[in-house]
Amino acid sequence: MKKRILAAIAALAATAVLSACGSEKPASTVAATEKASTAQETAKEEKTPGEPVSGGVLTISLSSSPKNLDPVKYTGTYESQIIGTVCDTLVEYNTELTEIQPGLAKSWKVSDDGRAYTFTLRDDVYFQPGKFQEGRKMTAEDVKYSLERSRKLSAMNRLDMLDHCEAVSDTELVCYLAEPNAVFLTALTDAGNVIVPKEEVEGWGDDFGTHLVGTGPFALESFELDQQAVLKRNDKYWAAKPYLDGVTFKPVSDGNQAVNALRTGEINLATSLSGEAVKIAREDQSVKLLETPGLHVAYIYFNQKNGPTADIKVREAIIKAVNVDELTAGVYQYNEAKPASLPLPPGSWGYDSSLEAEKPAYDPEGAKKLLAEAGYPDGFDLNIYISNTEARIKMATLFQAYLKQNLNINVNINTSEWGAFSEIASSGKADVFAMSWTWYPDPYFFLNKLFHSSSIGSLGNGQGFENKEVDQYLDEALLTTDQAKRAEIYKKALAVIVKQYPGIFYANENVNWGVSSNVQGLTQRADGKVKICTPDINVWLSK
Amino acid sequence: MFKTILIRCLQILPSLFVVVTLTFILTRMIPGDPARAVLGPQASVQDVQKMRETMGLDQPLVSQYKDYMIQIAKGDFGVSYSYNQPVLGLIAKRIPNTLLLAFPSILIALIAGLLIGVTSAVRQGTLVDYLFMILALVGVSMPIFWLGLMLVLVFSVHLGWLPVLGMGSMSSGIGDVIRHMVLPCFCLATIPTATFSRITRSSILESIHGDSIRALRARGIRESVVIWKYALKSALPPVITVLGLQLAGCFAGAILTETIFAWPGMGTLIVGAIDNRDYALIQGAVLVIALAFVIINMLVDVVYMIINPNVSYEGGF
Repeated sequence: MKKRILAAIAALAATAVLSACGSEKPASTVAATEKASTAQETAKEEKTPGEPVSGGVLTISLSSSPKNLDPVKYTGTYESQIIGTVCDTLVEYNTELTEIQPGLAKSWKVSDDGRAYTFTLRDDVYFQPGKFQEGRKMTAEDVKYSLERSRKLSAMNRLDMLDHCEAVSDTELVCYLAEPNAVFLTALTDAGNVIVPKEEVEGWGDDFGTHLVGTGPFALESFELDQQAVLKRNDKYWAAKPYLDGVTFKPVSDGNQAVNALRTGEINLATSLSGEAVKIAREDQSVKLLETPGLHVAYIYFNQKNGPTADIKVREAIIKAVNVDELTAGVYQYNEAKPASLPLPPGSWGYDSSLEAEKPAYDPEGAKKLLAEAGYPDGFDLNIYISNTEARIKMATLFQAYLKQNLNINVNINTSEWGAFSEIASSGKADVFAMSWTWYPDPYFFLNKLFHSSSIGSLGNGQGFENKEVDQYLDEALLTTDQAKRAEIYKKALAVIVKQYPGIFYANENVNWGVSSNVQGLTQRADGKVKICTPDINVWLSK
Repeated sequence: MFKTILIRCLQILPSLFVVVTLTFILTRMIPGDPARAVLGPQASVQDVQKMRETMGLDQPLVSQYKDYMIQIAKGDFGVSYSYNQPVLGLIAKRIPNTLLLAFPSILIALIAGLLIGVTSAVRQGTLVDYLFMILALVGVSMPIFWLGLMLVLVFSVHLGWLPVLGMGSMSSGIGDVIRHMVLPCFCLATIPTATFSRITRSSILESIHGDSIRALRARGIRESVVIWKYALKSALPPVITVLGLQLAGCFAGAILTETIFAWPGMGTLIVGAIDNRDYALIQGAVLVIALAFVIINMLVDVVYMIINPNVSYEGGF
């Protein structure tokens, strides 16, 4: 019997070890979900040969399995893709992600004190028919219900700035904020804040997560957990009649297999390709590779409070000792990313290219001198923490080599799976850690999360970056809703941050999609959101 | 024999108690915060704290353990944080998928393994024997991930015969499901086939050199009958031991194969649960797998007693 128990334990241990070695956390999770984007970056528009034809089902692979489609409960990018296809938000980012445009709201006004947003809603919007309502018209009460529900129930606090809503008429709604908050409209674009009918939410209860109903171009027909989500056309969609009969989402966690399935036609669109899968998709004639610079920054973050890197000279020396261009080319050998300079992706409207010059250039001699001045002429030992993804391991190995060669610093690489990594990285106990960040184009979602002192203890500012001037700028930028003014303030904050040498911001990854050649009319956005039918986009399949 | 089975049944309870306790302790020992795992990298300190309270993780470990044991005793495995669904329901949906892949694979492996093992043993030292044993060695050492991708490249991408991934659907007919099963089953059967053939070979070799087989041959009984009826029977116990372990292992799913072929089985469920630090799901899944292990091992012992009545467990444990 003892042997049997031992065998059982051994098998379980093997399971745990295998999972730790083999489970690469989906890129989206490692990198902090999709909601990112670029401003002026070129969104690729595919040439559409011939006249669009109706019919066909588009099959999309997701890098991980969607678990719960209830907007207030979802946590992953892969879930938000489905929610965003079944439901709509009040407002939306435009394709270039430079500004917010109307969605279910036709227009909106902001009060002078920045605390009341009055929305005028479209009056031609209908819910998809479900078990508890037969496709009735959407009203301001539904918007109030959905947003207040998100405010109360969202585990991610996606709408924590909202105080309450008031439905003035069927098509007019006022949202009151507790304090002025310039990112309110951006928050409304999140899949967590889509508009859903109360009858369905309350009728289904906990099962609403598998019976989602909204106002979007496709209605959820069936949701088979871990297998597929089948969506069919919503003929009464307000923006346009979708060309496609339906859309099917399937989880495929292995990137190579996603490309294989593209080549055989089992899927039409593979999201989140990386590494070798990008190369295969690029070389295969039957597959198109769409690439757009994403709203993404990969970085090495130094501990700001403890250890040698608490000294600003040491931080500057380490930055000077690493050749970022070479490092990025080594890590992303299939050109899946561009070398970066700043802790904000070039696609964000707060980006200031003039600050790129502030980043210390590669200068091993200068680095050595600085380190000696800091009191470490013979180097020291340094622990870097990373999650066990291929890109991160390659990066850490190169980082180790640069620091050994140029500064005689012995870097120990500590690799673990995501859960263990995120714990140490947010604890402030790591000498150095490396990860990536991607979110909305609003600089708030990068700078406040990575550098505001109120974020210390979360994964974003796990290294304890604290600077009063930066805090002031970041707080100030939330008080005005004027995007141009806000951009100026963020640029000032960024200038202060860069001079503190908090880390090495080494790469901006692309959004990479593999698409089969019969997919037409697809536009790739820098935030990685797949839009199938909007007022401007209507995807179709050529014969 | 009945008494033995009864005793073995009673022994299951303490085993499961140990498994539940160990899993409880081990899951809490893995670094990583379940609240943070559920909320993702962007979560603020306050969100994480709030989630920890919702999950009851702010309670002392002892009271968490006590609550969990009471829950389990009532047959309630709890709710998975990441799926927001009852654990038992999630496992119940995955086990049939896993077995649909595992049982045919083991059956194929058993038949192929016995055939190869017996043939090799009978022709010991010949070219056929060497060839089979080299194949078996290759089979045991083959990285399944690589094998799976190669099979897909050849049979799906280039030849277009079989689907790349997924489970197929009964609504498209049983043929669709079988077509989806071919490649993953082949992958899953590779290592067990090699294991069975090596064990069968050595076990048969041992028995055909024994006195009883020599006596049978001396009586002029046909060689094929000697081998397939008598030698094989006495060579079976080690094969059955391995078979039992393999069958029990089936319930844990096949992590690599399921990942490659996007097959929704227990393997990917457990890996996902560990990644997400989904304590309730990890504990539930481990408990079910442990139960499968102890029950199948008990059945193996019963089978031993049937094929070889001389084996007795009275007082043996």
